[in-house]
Amino acid sequence: MAERIRNWKIVKPNGIDSGVRIMLASVLLVLLVSCGGKKGNDTETPTVTFNCPANALQIKALEKEIPAFTRKTGIVVKLNPFSGEEKLYAMLAADQAPDIFYTNTVVRDKLAAEGYLLDLNTVGKGDPFLSRLRPAVIERGKSIDGGWYSISNWEFTCGVYYNRDVFDQLGIRYPDSLWTWNDMVEIARRLTADSDGDGRIDRYGVFIGSHFVEAFELMNHAPIHPNTILLDIAPESREVYRKYLELVANNIMPDLRRVQAMGMQAQQLLESGRVAMLVEAVPNTNLLEYLTIDVGLAPLPRFDNKKPLYFRSGSGGLSIYAGTKHPRAAWQVLKWLISDADIYRPSPVLKDVDFVNGWFAKYPRLKGSGFEAVWKLSERYNGGDPRYFVRFSSWTSHAILEQFQPLLDQLWAGSISLNDVLAEVPAINKHVLDELESLLQSNNLEPAFAKALRKEHERAKKEVADASAARR
Amino acid sequence: MIRRHFTGYGFVAPWIIGFILLTAGPMLYSLYLSLTRATLLSPPKWVGLNNYLHMVADDPLFYTSLWNTVYFVAFSVPLGLLVSLILALLLHQRLKGIGVFRTVFFLPSITNMVAVSVLWLWIFNPEFGLINTLLDAFGIRGPLWLQSESWAKPALIIMSLWGIGGTMIIFLAALQGVPQNLYEAAELDGAGKIRKFWHVTLPMISPAFVFNLIIGVIGSFQVFTQAFVMTGSAQPGSEGGPNNATLFYVLYLYKKAFQEFRMGYASALAWVLFVIILLCTVALMKMSKSRVYYEGMDQK
Amino acid sequence: MRTRRISFLARTTVQYLVLLILGTAFMVPVIWMLSSSLHDVQGVFALPFKWIPGIWHWENYYRVVTLLPFGRYFVNTLIITVPYMLFMVLSSSFAAYGFSRLRFPGRDKLFALCVATMMLPGQVTIIPLYIMYSKLGLVDTYWPLIIPAVFGSPFYIFLLRQFFLTIPRELDEAALIDGASHLRIYWSVILPQARPALATVLIFSFIGSWNDFFGPLIYINSPEKATLTLGLNLMKTQILGSGVVEWNTLMAASVLVLIPNVVLFFLAQKQFMRGINLGGIRG
Repeated sequence: MAERIRNWKIVKPNGIDSGVRIMLASVLLVLLVSCGGKKGNDTETPTVTFNCPANALQIKALEKEIPAFTRKTGIVVKLNPFSGEEKLYAMLAADQAPDIFYTNTVVRDKLAAEGYLLDLNTVGKGDPFLSRLRPAVIERGKSIDGGWYSISNWEFTCGVYYNRDVFDQLGIRYPDSLWTWNDMVEIARRLTADSDGDGRIDRYGVFIGSHFVEAFELMNHAPIHPNTILLDIAPESREVYRKYLELVANNIMPDLRRVQAMGMQAQQLLESGRVAMLVEAVPNTNLLEYLTIDVGLAPLPRFDNKKPLYFRSGSGGLSIYAGTKHPRAAWQVLKWLISDADIYRPSPVLKDVDFVNGWFAKYPRLKGSGFEAVWKLSERYNGGDPRYFVRFSSWTSHAILEQFQPLLDQLWAGSISLNDVLAEVPAINKHVLDELESLLQSNNLEPAFAKALRKEHERAKKEVADASAARR
Repeated sequence: MIRRHFTGYGFVAPWIIGFILLTAGPMLYSLYLSLTRATLLSPPKWVGLNNYLHMVADDPLFYTSLWNTVYFVAFSVPLGLLVSLILALLLHQRLKGIGVFRTVFFLPSITNMVAVSVLWLWIFNPEFGLINTLLDAFGIRGPLWLQSESWAKPALIIMSLWGIGGTMIIFLAALQGVPQNLYEAAELDGAGKIRKFWHVTLPMISPAFVFNLIIGVIGSFQVFTQAFVMTGSAQPGSEGGPNNATLFYVLYLYKKAFQEFRMGYASALAWVLFVIILLCTVALMKMSKSRVYYEGMDQK
Repeated sequence: MRTRRISFLARTTVQYLVLLILGTAFMVPVIWMLSSSLHDVQGVFALPFKWIPGIWHWENYYRVVTLLPFGRYFVNTLIITVPYMLFMVLSSSFAAYGFSRLRFPGRDKLFALCVATMMLPGQVTIIPLYIMYSKLGLVDTYWPLIIPAVFGSPFYIFLLRQFFLTIPRELDEAALIDGASHLRIYWSVILPQARPALATVLIFSFIGSWNDFFGPLIYINSPEKATLTLGLNLMKTQILGSGVVEWNTLMAASVLVLIPNVVLFFLAQKQFMRGINLGGIRG
């Protein structure tokens, strides 16, 4: 030890100079690179930034199309493909928001209420483009104050994907558009099999993810409104819940908890033959890309003696930042994206687009699968509510879901009964009203929103009071 | 003496400047926000201690998420320390190819979490998953793991063990600093392996141990990504696992801030967590003080 | 002598066996990632998973480098990571020296404050920090990703302080008597003594910056300025309704991003070998 101490100077200050040099060089490098990106404020050609959550392939395709658009309109489009909740909010807070970005229904309403979104009517009123949009698309983009804040580029319906080979093997007829829930249960029963006789089921008849229950509630005429403030489990919904739980109890659907998770598990079940029918969104690119089996497609089953209410929905859309420097140019870009940009084609939101054939061109194997019938039905009936497929996409959705989801988890797990859930509804609604009240107390709401919400709040309060009076 | 003080401040000056420029402002601002009703973006409105009162008196999910987090910390930190210390001891040897093994144990901690989450979802899949298939071979029907209220947290704790590479490396680095002559002296005294470990190795690496412990506690209290990636569901806004079994504190905070736009409340949650972690850390520091050996500590 | 030889052999065998078994368990995620990167999309989710693909889809890797300007992202990432790493090692060790070797009023309180800054969840400070950088005009540059390293990070300061505290005091006292300045002691006594710890900080800060997703996500807007992790994410995002996640390509990209980490770690871990030969195993 002593020797080491005496010889401390022997340790050379190695590389101090080269270290400093590398650091200086890298600082310079960064300076150079960052300067390269400095943009001047060009007032002649408006630049519209688009925060575009797309994959590498789509970004490439879009970038290729932009020059032609710029030549035609004189508008430069800048892509910012990196998106995230925190990023968007940070950009909005710093007044650096992109001119066009994606919002989902809940976020859109909240941002609009604080004045961050452009009312599309201000730029789009009277534009002939509006007549090309399906009316439901415009309807879905509206918020509680009557303003129009987003246009969705995408719509979907729901259907039953089924494994044709299994149907053929067992000589079961493919489902048609008249089939009912009871038919589905019956078919599922026949499809369910324990081939090796070990007491464990090897193939289940059907699987329905719990987030698709709402689709059946709609089909059963449950009163699900846009801007649903309160939690209401109507008799129609209760019936669906019971029927849904029966599927598991009767062993024709796997225990929800054995499959219900993130990722591809439901699709894996169908592909691997563990499940013969699966309820999913139509169309669903990830599913189509993944499945290799011969798959057929049927509409959702109806409920006995009830008119079917197929629906079409879309959960997100493109919005324009209220602080944009070029609202008109942004509107031009928005229109171009939805109607012309290749990555958004074929668009289901435009009336004048042959979506079915466009989709066949993308996925030829869908021909003869039943896709066309399912899609056309969703158009013809346009039932349920055009705005929401997810029931709680509203002002109070978080307050409701926070309380309600754990109950549903327990209900599906079989640890509580439906009556236990129903017993909690008044408490949840009280909580919801409290939350809404505190929202109204904040001073950030745009007046039109505050007014409309206050009205909704009054109505909801009365509803709760009436309900509790009725219970007494 | 004054000159010496000056030198001291000089050395820590970069950090102090950075703290003042980059850290202090946002921290104080969030403290201010915690006393307001603030949405994400709009001007805040002063509400005094309301957020804190609401949290303690009126928010069951605050307690749920705190309990989940404490559960996670209580298991993952000691387990992680133990496993990483054992691995470090195993890897602190002169064996051919030991470098490859070090790399092997370190690698999983730096693989892309989102990509690998697909694997973990499969591993924990109750029906076809790796673990349950193995258990099946022994005739054991495995649990539902991530879909089970009681097994979701253990699943995430097991998963966290694959991320201990960093902790292990710090132990390895510390083991380098243990002077061989101490072992030789102990051997002369007739000490066996275990006694050498307790009386030489452990005291000599105790500063690294304290570091790993404190950092482990700070990090685990803020566990977020695993839960966010692994136990969300198809329904937006319902992350947190079956019946909120994996609603960890920071996940809850995140939902409040970025899904519900309640930055004021989220800030209050953050500061309560700050105090909780601080108290834990101080307690651990106090407890470890007498047991840590700092060769170079100045005696006051 | 002979029995000793045999017991040595037996011990080594057991050690290798233990390492092999544990190592395999630890490598499962990495092996799976490698394997998935060579599957087709169906293969990634096939049940049961085939660890050895039937057909090796090497084209996934080709697809990554043609789909993304991988070279450019690589350079971009390097431009951030190298200065980040150097600044971090330098400034953190600097502060750690102050906190561990020097005495001045309020030192321990300052150090406690330093550690305490890690205890507040970052989620609540993102937005003010972003606003600050945006006021400075630094959004969509690499500065917000490098500047923090200039001032050191509490994590590394704490880590290095712990290691510096294990270095005997007599070393610096001898140097002081010889008239060395603290700057010189820091550079010529402490840093060489703390090589394993510095190697650790070097590795960690490289890996931290290289694999950082959140920082670049927030601060980088232009596609041409993307880092590798942002590029990786481009494989995963999709426009509602169109496009799919090519999980196999994503895995291939993840493997490519991981490789520099592995190389660096493998090279740097040699630092942990030093000093062990002195009296470890004697046959």
